[in-house]
Amino acid sequence: MVLDDLGSSLRGTLDDLRGKSRLEEDDIQEVVKQIQRSLLEADVEVDLVMELSDSIKGRALDEEPPGGTSARDHVLKIVYEELVELVGDSTELPLESQTILLAGLQGSGKTTTAAKMAWWFAKKGLRPAIIQTDTFRPGAYDQAKQMAGNAEVDFYGDPDADDPVQIARDGLEATEQAEVHIVDTAGRHALEEELIAEIEEIDSVVDPDTRLLVLDAAIGQGAKEQAQRFEEAIGVEGVAITKLDGTAKGGGALTAVNETDSSIAFLGTGETVQDIERFEPNSFISRLLGMGDLKQLSERVERAMEETGAEDDDWNPESILEGSFTLKDMQKQMEAMNNMGPLDQVMDMIPGMGGGMMDQLPDDAMDVTQERMREFNVIMDSMTDGELEEPRSISASQVERIARGSGTNTERVNELLEQHKMMDRTLNQFQGMGDGDMERMMKKMQDGEGGLGGLGGGGGPGGMM
Amino acid sequence: MFDGLKDKLNSFREDVEETAEEAADADESADDADESTASADADESTASADDADAESVAVDDDDSDDSAAAAAAETDAETPSSDESDSDDADDSDDSSSGPGTLKRAAAFATGKVIIEEDDLEDPLWELEMALLESDVEMSVAEQILDTVEETMIGETRKQVETTGELVERALHDALVDVISVGQFDFDERIAEADKPITIVFTGVNGVGKTTSIAKLSEYLADRGYSSVMANGDTYRAGANEQLQQHAENLDRKIITHEQGGDPAAVIYDGVEYAEANDVDVVLGDTAGRLHTSDDLMSQLEKIDRVVDPDMTLFVDEAVAGQDAVMRAQEFNDAAAIDGTILTKADVDASGGAAISIAYVTGKPILFLGTGQGYDHIEPFEPEELVDQLLGADQ
Repeated sequence: MVLDDLGSSLRGTLDDLRGKSRLEEDDIQEVVKQIQRSLLEADVEVDLVMELSDSIKGRALDEEPPGGTSARDHVLKIVYEELVELVGDSTELPLESQTILLAGLQGSGKTTTAAKMAWWFAKKGLRPAIIQTDTFRPGAYDQAKQMAGNAEVDFYGDPDADDPVQIARDGLEATEQAEVHIVDTAGRHALEEELIAEIEEIDSVVDPDTRLLVLDAAIGQGAKEQAQRFEEAIGVEGVAITKLDGTAKGGGALTAVNETDSSIAFLGTGETVQDIERFEPNSFISRLLGMGDLKQLSERVERAMEETGAEDDDWNPESILEGSFTLKDMQKQMEAMNNMGPLDQVMDMIPGMGGGMMDQLPDDAMDVTQERMREFNVIMDSMTDGELEEPRSISASQVERIARGSGTNTERVNELLEQHKMMDRTLNQFQGMGDGDMERMMKKMQDGEGGLGGLGGGGGPGGMM
Repeated sequence: MFDGLKDKLNSFREDVEETAEEAADADESADDADESTASADADESTASADDADAESVAVDDDDSDDSAAAAAAETDAETPSSDESDSDDADDSDDSSSGPGTLKRAAAFATGKVIIEEDDLEDPLWELEMALLESDVEMSVAEQILDTVEETMIGETRKQVETTGELVERALHDALVDVISVGQFDFDERIAEADKPITIVFTGVNGVGKTTSIAKLSEYLADRGYSSVMANGDTYRAGANEQLQQHAENLDRKIITHEQGGDPAAVIYDGVEYAEANDVDVVLGDTAGRLHTSDDLMSQLEKIDRVVDPDMTLFVDEAVAGQDAVMRAQEFNDAAAIDGTILTKADVDASGGAAISIAYVTGKPILFLGTGQGYDHIEPFEPEELVDQLLGADQ
């Protein structure tokens, strides 16, 4: 998949930022280097990589992280925004009558993509036709014809003709009945003047609504020049990346999108006509960065904090950072977590927790954790205000009373007290870090820095959260 | 091809020279301070240190402010001592600096030599890495090349009459030749010496130009007096038979095909039998393009390799391929050990780093370049020539 590895290597570097609230220049330098590396390994063009990383670096240093945002999330957010900015939306392809022209290097997969797109449009209820104008490559006609057959769409080509422009003209006429015309062309590259002139001519005859540059996912730095040249010749409105079922990252597509100021339209992921996907930028980048859905997560955190805080005026989260973390605070913290919704959903949105990480947890891990939190809550309900404020003063006999009152056992109550002690310790480490607030604490927890970390208990998801 | 890398290598060479010269200036000023007790001398050295400082800032591009900072820091470290014109302080600063000790420095200075240190190389090497990556050399391969260059250069003393550029060039030349000329053999000679018929199987991912390369190689062989038969082992792709058939017709060669969906190994095997029966010299066996991630197709390739047991397996990839070139070369080499590589579309791409990556990772030579759409657009690959060309042999 496109840039898949960027996610994991970037996450690795970002993990080093855990526990930091302020970014030092060195930290950012390291992250930026990692980003550069990942992008370069994904075949994104060097200048573009430098541009991107400069802009990320500049913003990371200049922009003050919004309150409650850890350094790590701050950087992640910037990377996310910069990539979104670059990739833009998916190429607009209205489901109506239209003509699409395909262009690209030899062997990039134009003919296969033509058939796949035709299949895609057919599935959307339109009647597509493929017009094959490649008169140069032996077997091109047969290949296109057969693939059109596989996709069960109209086809026009003329194995005996040798003028692609004429074929295009005739083809449009012959397939008049069709709603979507997909014009396939011979492979050519940027330096072949004659062939570039030829596609310009085809372009003017066909007058397409959309011109797609078909790019092999494995293309390297050369993507820039090719994209530039095709952009000059016919204009490029979108990019189709092929052969993404291999190990190539398809960074050349980002280069091309940048050069042509266009967007990604389709992803080719296999050899049959069904192996095509529309490009979805948001899910693509979110997944790329392993960030689940940061936007939605931050909204949820905010809402949860509001809900939690609004119910109780005399609870001041700031006091936690002044060194008095009580069971009351812990209860609030858990409440806030609860207010965010089902744990597994929340986990999915937490950067670095989605995908593979979730798979490693036992299936019932979320249930166990949630169950545990509920139980702790019941126990705390059986405590007096004094006990909640001063958990250290709770004696063995009090523990017994609380256990009876909450319908649990002393073991559980002690676990709760242990948990509180651990969190208190963790919190003490956070003190003196400046303008911290509850929201940042939440972030810390999500970053796996303690907090509710141990709630899962022995061997469970403890430490994972 | 390779023009892009050539430009970048030249600029790398210039960078190294500049950095080394700056360092040399700074060294000199520090050494001056060492020797001087008179305040007049010290003032002079301060001035020269400042010069070096200013120079380093001016010389560096804005994208490498690190090197400016590093150079400035280095100069700064030595400047205070000269400011105070106190020889003790100067000694201290020398002692605390890393790399060659005072003695070696002094000796080098006395004999008119400059020692190249790690710090001098850091930024130029970064630039070189970028240059290699920009030329599509795969990252791990680029790093390997950098390590070699660094190893060769650090601690090296150069005479002042000799430029750092010359040293870099030598180190780079050696590193590149090492990588790219790996296992070179004379293709023509091997064809001449082998028992006929020789079976050559072509492998590679989709769309890299296997079929076209077969047609070209058939023509190449004909030019050298060898007959060949084409066997279309691509029984999968639509239009594959027609494509090779057309080539065979154009070139007036015999072609063996089976129906689409047939057993590729059987087709090539038939090709071999045909060649034996008809005294044909070379069997050119095409295979379907496949992505190395497809287990089924890769094991099919293993089977073809086992059944046909070709005399030579040539991996075909395109010069425009980027970082992925290494991965697929490796996978194909693992499935059916290759003897060499044909790099196609070399007329498209100016950088050609894929050649370096593939040769490095497979340990097998690049044998041919495909340079256009005509049948005669195939050229034997000459590594030495390429490296000379890269580094500008005219210099």
